[in-house]
Amino acid sequence: MNFISDANKKFQKELNSGTASLVLLSVLDRAKEPMYGYQIAKLIEAQDESVQMMKQGALYPVLRSLENSGLLESYVDPSITGPPRRYYKITKSGQETLDAWAKIWNQTKAFVDTLLEENEDV
Amino acid sequence: MFKDVHEYLSQLKKELKGSDPALTQDALADAEEHLRTALDNVKKEAPHISETEALGDILDKYGEPNEVASAYKEIEYQISSFLYPTQPPKKRSRLAKFFNINGDSQAWAAFLYMLFSLVTSILFGLWALFGMSLSLISLILIIGLPLTGLFLLSLRGIALIEGRIVEALLGIRMPRKPIFVQKDLNLTKKLKALITGFQTWKIFFYLITRIPLSIVLSFGLLTLFSFSLKFMAYPVLAPVFKRSLITLGGQSYQTSIWLYPVVSLGGFVVFTLSLHLTKLVGKLSGRYAKAMLVRKG
Repeated sequence: MNFISDANKKFQKELNSGTASLVLLSVLDRAKEPMYGYQIAKLIEAQDESVQMMKQGALYPVLRSLENSGLLESYVDPSITGPPRRYYKITKSGQETLDAWAKIWNQTKAFVDTLLEENEDV
Repeated sequence: MFKDVHEYLSQLKKELKGSDPALTQDALADAEEHLRTALDNVKKEAPHISETEALGDILDKYGEPNEVASAYKEIEYQISSFLYPTQPPKKRSRLAKFFNINGDSQAWAAFLYMLFSLVTSILFGLWALFGMSLSLISLILIIGLPLTGLFLLSLRGIALIEGRIVEALLGIRMPRKPIFVQKDLNLTKKLKALITGFQTWKIFFYLITRIPLSIVLSFGLLTLFSFSLKFMAYPVLAPVFKRSLITLGGQSYQTSIWLYPVVSLGGFVVFTLSLHLTKLVGKLSGRYAKAMLVRKG
């Protein structure tokens, strides 16, 4: 039982490491205004509360690496009441990358779905 | 179970021990931003809930310090292996290695840094000197202390900007977020922490010492570059503009036509040497910036 649960966790983790960047780019592409980390995490959580894609703390290094690659840009808004907040927004290069990644994702998804459906039919 | 945000951040710091100090600073800033925002939201909905209680649910979603630390380390590893892939060294002759610097993007980025830092280090350094003098003078007045606080805070901001320039041009990992300070301190304690903080004075020292360093290094290297360019262009400069090769003590020296290619080649060698030197200076400047602007541990 433990082995299966560990294997599931490992599988989910591996999937997340590939999809987190796609999810974050997609969220920020749809956003009308720049968003800070907590807002993004809450929005992802609100999509489907039954599935925790990944720990919210793990989203931040992905955001920073996307910014480092020029796909996102950010600015810090100093807040009087709390710590300064870093707002992220997608760049033009981020939008182009998102389009390309979405195509790859759809192709992969269709391929895996076909295989899984075939397995069900056997 | 963590009793407050500070305890969580201390544990996260421990988990990140041995990592790049700049990465630790970023991870702490991210965690603090998230946890305090989440706590504020929970407290708005349930004002009587204790911080420990509220934090339990928040951390369940945010992740334990070891989970968060490993997420940062993993991504950092992916980035660094992408930025600096381990390639088998290509076998090249020493001469080819020497001249390859002319197409080395790191050397040209160091050249840009040298030009850019000449302006920024003078501006930042003068601000540090001016701000410090103004703060010391105003300390006799009642507004002196807050003014000093604001000035020291501006130094932290400058350190962050300088860090971004160093990372962009010299490729040395620097903090991308401001230095983590305990947020639940009152204003007086924050000011005290700022004034007594060793990091503040390291930044101040860095900004002051960068003025003479930049001036000497930049002008030294620029002189070398201009000499080498003049030598390289000599076959054109001499016949067209009637320029002498060197002027020493009012005496002009010229060479015969058959030596023009040698002079030009000599110029190219000096140019290449200057680029090597610029890259080395850039590397050392980056190390100096990292040692002085990034808080250890």
